Amino acid sequence: MKITLLRSLVMAGALLCFGLSQAQEVSGTVSDALGPLPGASVVVKGTTNGTQTDFDGNYTIDGLDDDAILVFSYIGYSNQEIPVAGQATIDVVLQEDAQALDEVVIVGYGSQAKKEITSSVVSVSTEDFNQGVVQEPTQLLQGKVAGLSVVNRGGNPNQEPVIRLRGISTVGGNQQPLVVIDGILGGSLSSVDPADIENITVLKDGSAAAIYGSRGSAGVIVVTTKRGKAGQPLRVSYNGQLGVSTIANQIEIMDRGEFLAVGGNDLGSDTDWRDEVTQTGIAQVHNISASGGGEGFNYRVAGNIRDTDNILINSGFQQFNFRTNFTGLLFDDKLKIDVNAAFTQRDSQIGFNEALRYATSYNPTAPVFGEDAPFPFNSAQFGGYFETLGLFDSFNPVAIAELNRNDRFATTLNYGVNLNYRVTDNLTVNLNYAAQNIKEDANIYYPTTGYWRGSALSPTRRGRADFGNSERRFRLLEGYAAYTNSFADKFNFTVTAGYSFQENDFNYSYFQIGDFPPGVDFDWSNNINAAQDLLEGGRIEADSGREDGDRIIRFFGRANITFDDAIYFDASISREGSSRFGSENRWGIFPAVGMGADLNKYLELPNVNLLKVRAGWGLTGAIPPAVGLDQQIFNVQNGVDGQSGAASTQDNGRAANPDLKWEEKSEFNFGVEFAMDRFGATADYFIRDIRDFVTFANVDAAENNGFDRRWQNSGQLGVTGFELSANYDVIRNDKLTYNTGVILTHNKNTLEENPQGDQVDGNLGAPGQNNTNVVLIREGEEVGQIWGPVFSGEVDANGTPILLDINGDGELVTGQGSALDDNADFRVLGTGIPDFEIGWTNQVTFGNWDANVFFRAVVGHSLVNSFRAFYEPIIGSQASYNFVNTKLQRDDIRTAQFSDYYVEKADFLRLDNMSIGYNFDLKEGSYIKGLRLSLAAQNLFTITGYSGVDPEPSLQDGGLPAGELRGDDADDQIDEIQANPLIAGIERREAYFTSTTITLGLNVNF
Amino acid sequence: MKRIFKLTLISTVFIAFSCTDLDDELEDTLTEEFSVDGIDTGGGGGDGGPLLSAFARLRAGGAGNSGHFALQGVPGDDMAVPQKGGDWFDGGIWIDLHRHTWNAANDRINEGWNDAYGGIGECNIALDGGTLDANGTAQIRALRAYFYYRLLDLYGRVKLITTAGGDAPQSDRIDVFNFVESELLAALGISAVTASIDLSASALTTDVNPYRINQFSALGLLAKLYLNAEVYTGTPRYEEADWAATYVIDNGPYQLCAAGCTAPNRARRPDVETDPATLEGYAAIFATDNESNPEIIFSIEYASVGGGGMNFAQMTLHGPSQLTYGLDAAPWNGFVTLEEFYNSYETGDLRKEANFLVGPQTDFSGNPLIDFAADDDDLQVNYTPAVNELEPNALRQGGARMKKFSFEVLGRQDMNNDYPILRLGDIHLMRGEARARAAGDWNLSLPDVNAIRTRAGVSTLGSIDADEFLAERGREMFQESSRRTDLIRFGKFQDSWWEKTNADAFRNLFPIPVNQINAAPDLTQNPGY
Repeated sequence: MKITLLRSLVMAGALLCFGLSQAQEVSGTVSDALGPLPGASVVVKGTTNGTQTDFDGNYTIDGLDDDAILVFSYIGYSNQEIPVAGQATIDVVLQEDAQALDEVVIVGYGSQAKKEITSSVVSVSTEDFNQGVVQEPTQLLQGKVAGLSVVNRGGNPNQEPVIRLRGISTVGGNQQPLVVIDGILGGSLSSVDPADIENITVLKDGSAAAIYGSRGSAGVIVVTTKRGKAGQPLRVSYNGQLGVSTIANQIEIMDRGEFLAVGGNDLGSDTDWRDEVTQTGIAQVHNISASGGGEGFNYRVAGNIRDTDNILINSGFQQFNFRTNFTGLLFDDKLKIDVNAAFTQRDSQIGFNEALRYATSYNPTAPVFGEDAPFPFNSAQFGGYFETLGLFDSFNPVAIAELNRNDRFATTLNYGVNLNYRVTDNLTVNLNYAAQNIKEDANIYYPTTGYWRGSALSPTRRGRADFGNSERRFRLLEGYAAYTNSFADKFNFTVTAGYSFQENDFNYSYFQIGDFPPGVDFDWSNNINAAQDLLEGGRIEADSGREDGDRIIRFFGRANITFDDAIYFDASISREGSSRFGSENRWGIFPAVGMGADLNKYLELPNVNLLKVRAGWGLTGAIPPAVGLDQQIFNVQNGVDGQSGAASTQDNGRAANPDLKWEEKSEFNFGVEFAMDRFGATADYFIRDIRDFVTFANVDAAENNGFDRRWQNSGQLGVTGFELSANYDVIRNDKLTYNTGVILTHNKNTLEENPQGDQVDGNLGAPGQNNTNVVLIREGEEVGQIWGPVFSGEVDANGTPILLDINGDGELVTGQGSALDDNADFRVLGTGIPDFEIGWTNQVTFGNWDANVFFRAVVGHSLVNSFRAFYEPIIGSQASYNFVNTKLQRDDIRTAQFSDYYVEKADFLRLDNMSIGYNFDLKEGSYIKGLRLSLAAQNLFTITGYSGVDPEPSLQDGGLPAGELRGDDADDQIDEIQANPLIAGIERREAYFTSTTITLGLNVNF
Repeated sequence: MKRIFKLTLISTVFIAFSCTDLDDELEDTLTEEFSVDGIDTGGGGGDGGPLLSAFARLRAGGAGNSGHFALQGVPGDDMAVPQKGGDWFDGGIWIDLHRHTWNAANDRINEGWNDAYGGIGECNIALDGGTLDANGTAQIRALRAYFYYRLLDLYGRVKLITTAGGDAPQSDRIDVFNFVESELLAALGISAVTASIDLSASALTTDVNPYRINQFSALGLLAKLYLNAEVYTGTPRYEEADWAATYVIDNGPYQLCAAGCTAPNRARRPDVETDPATLEGYAAIFATDNESNPEIIFSIEYASVGGGGMNFAQMTLHGPSQLTYGLDAAPWNGFVTLEEFYNSYETGDLRKEANFLVGPQTDFSGNPLIDFAADDDDLQVNYTPAVNELEPNALRQGGARMKKFSFEVLGRQDMNNDYPILRLGDIHLMRGEARARAAGDWNLSLPDVNAIRTRAGVSTLGSIDADEFLAERGREMFQESSRRTDLIRFGKFQDSWWEKTNADAFRNLFPIPVNQINAAPDLTQNPGY
């Protein structure tokens, strides 16, 4: 009764009436060429009234009008529409659809038929994912989606990749796309095991993402996990993989003989340091799942175990992940309850990338162990290892990797409930609640015998232990309603409106303590009460922070209208507020509109299934990277030795800015989709405009109490780009199929306005190349241009490279401080951002065999090869460091000075992924229902002229280095732990070595 | 069940229209809500309160490889930072500073500016806070005047900002000079410096506390200002410099630290008997425990714990010297002394021994100190006064090292020695020079010069000229952030010396840093840049 009352109210409020007529019931069977299809969807067109077929493909649907049309659909099959017209039984046979035109795609707060979408959306399902050992969900998509760059330089499994959709989306905000997992936004991708993913949909442009407000600014990645199907009996699957990784590429260095030939100091041994610090990586992945369903419910439970030894010795991780979901229907199938929960526990041995860096620069004649030293050496002090004492920035790489420990333990728990209530056939109401807690503990230990960071040489303080922990809690509450109807026969529309509330709590703490008793082989991090730091002032470093109640609140609405099943119109608006802004500018409004038309409906071109044009525009925002950046902060000034009181100081603070507001991103997208029976193509062109970056900008120190910086909005950046994807079924018959597809991405990022003033940034760093900034940041210029002087090819008597007088004014101005002067002899030496990224997929099935070959190419970008810039010149006073020995090495260059000589084109073509699989034929009725064996190879070879470690583009610079803890450095300001997207194109010396992985996979279904 | 659902639905609607609260408090940092008084321990002229924060700002750039120390030292004829292969090139900023080819983008120049304005901002907040008593106000105004003095000396034309968060147009150098002068006079309660100074109206005290400003510190700063007035404004003010310095010498409780004035030698290695147990005279002024040295009038308080910023051991020593002193960390091998300057000290000058580290080095136990990365075949570390070249391949062991601020065994990167801004020896030399210049007779400086020379253990002079005076001042004031200003005052900044020939006169002023001009377009650049 009460429900009825509520329903009447809502109906009245909805303004639109719908006709009442005689209800009718229809039943039948849905099947495909092979037999009944369980879980197929049957929906009354223009309504949300629908059901799913049971295990035998049967369905029953009632409450139908005479003129109702039933829509039968199943992922991967063409939809069929059949008018009821008084029939009581309707049986359908669905046809497989290669181009999947009628695929239903999940968009924000609902789903749409793919052809009705007016923005740029790409959906990738299991069968198209990258194969082999994939440790991180987005790597499933690397190279598969035009416009999406997934870059993990070197491929360190302990490092998260940089994900970019369509180039730079924000300068001061979060560059990573929003992740939506099973309808719940804000989840962590690390909580989803790649093996549990059914489909990933990428919402690329602003008009699609605008409904997510600021969170969608960098694009949206919608992950749908695998689920059971109603009416499907219990099915148990096992998926196992065993991967073996070997080093694919590293920069050439000198061996003992070459090193001595150029005058290196001989320490009597012959050591291949890189061999010493690396190993064959072994990765195991096990996924066991059980799924099934009955009348009105389905479920899936999965457990994943990953155990990986990385190629750097003593590094790797072990991960356990558990995920379950349950869907049930209640109240005449009107209420759908969805419950999801996942738990992830990860033990990581991060290791130290510095071991790889020092393995490159360490003397190849030095022994690993002190007992092999050419002179008396007290190796006990260094745990038995040899060390080149007194040499700046030189540490035994094996000692770094073997003595020290860098561990993380992280747990992620997330859960969500979604209630979907069909109030009427036309109106549904949704309520989402979700939460996520991530806890991470870090423990880093440098023993008293460690020369590197353990200060083994110090007579006063040896050994160090670092502890860090952080906790991030996230809560989300969302409610929305969707109303669907049609009128005048040709108009269908859906109106969605909702509210979203998100709250983040974050806190962290860090401390460092040391000075442990030497001479004992004991892990003092487990017994820090023995630290002498406790007795001596100022030695312990500690830091903590807390940002609770960080909220985003949003009201949103959207209308989708289709006319004549061929003309589509979408509009959305959201009003969003964030507590990260000052009271002056706390709320922003973000609208979007889109239109599309299937021209083929009117042109009726022969053999063409779809010719759609669409255009969309959307405005999104980005919020500052932390809470309270609008406020001036003070620090505490303690008296020296703590004896003379304390006071507040503005030292190390920032100036206030009450007007801090949204960084705005507007994007216009124009796309064309074309499909024939065996060929499909999509092209998109977009123009993006980002303005009012949230940046930590220089301000007049005089005017701002001596603060030279504050957070403010300034600048404007434009991105234009196009994306192309095409797909062709070359062969399609019963025995053999061959499908090939190409994607192509291009984007250009231009800094339109730069009130901060032109500058060079991207400091090469110590030793000796501080204040050597190699990337240009100049108004009106492309982002990521490498800037520097040009080497003439000649050296002077000192071995100093002679640089070119580029402007020919007879005066050589190549000092770094003059880099932007009018008379400077500097020029653009390359660009860090590629011109094109290309992916080429080939899939073949032959009987029970299937194979996949995927090439990826990135062209047009350059990299500053830091290894060469630092270690290639044969510097006399550096005869105790090894030299880089690429094809560009010249014995006569004896001074390290940055020039174009160290900037290289980094175009590459890579056989990124190749796999072959066999599906065994099994006897009917056997316990094993499916058995598959596969062999995959990742990064099999790379063709490139680049002599560094990895030609993969470097899209950003800085940020918290891998393996380091926040709080480690007292000066860890927000701007320093954030990577800078304006500095592209530098390959740093900490680069991880790339690897080739061969994986054996086994898949069994019971 | 249906009821629950309905309640949920209604509550959602309710939440949607009520839960729009976005106020958030910063929980992990102090904001304006915690006012300056919030955690003060007092507003008096003592140790705590706003004065603590303001005076602490002197540490930034005062005695490290950045900011003021680098700007006053590296462009002079006494020290350099040679490029050692891959080390210390740093985009050429050190070479530029030494060869006088710097430009407005040089980081050191930006640091000097920011450090001074950081101090000025802290002073303005303290003055606006309203918690200062008369003495505290006078001290903060004098301290602010000192920060402006640095800007006057380095950049000339700056904004004179006197309230927290205020702005002002860029002033001419003469206006900056007048401001510094008037602020110091106001702190002293006088309208002008005369031959007979009456400080009875001054809010400053005569209490001895080198970390705060008393009447003698303020007069010492005025003496320095007047001594350089001709450079800053074109108008000589030597008499006033003489009177101010004389007042400090005659009325202050300070004495030259000579024989009998000692400090423990913290660099003494326990097993090396030749290491002296104490430092005496000139050397004691700069010792680790120099906080109560009778010669120091006004100094920057540095400490390993809570007062970091003095890094001379790291800046100047070669890596292996870590093992000589048992230092916490390997030194950086950067700053060295020019050979000619080192040789300008005569044998037996106590200051030579105090200021420099040369010769073969030994380790903590006194055994030869070995450098496995040595440039030559002799593995023992041996600091030679000669440096082969400024760049690109300066020898790692070349150059006498600066050890005036004596090291400490088992020392940390941040040293414990205090860094004098004013000391009696400097006041004597200022008085001597002011008298000589006022009368145009350099011999009038002899009483003061000879007082200094006697303390240094070298013979007194019977006559002296300007060049000799400058050389004497150089020997005395080495490593005390004075050389650049002195060379400019003597018209020698354009001279040539080792690895330096550029004679641009406009370089007597540094450029306004490019970062500042970008952020504040109303700033105009100094001529020549």
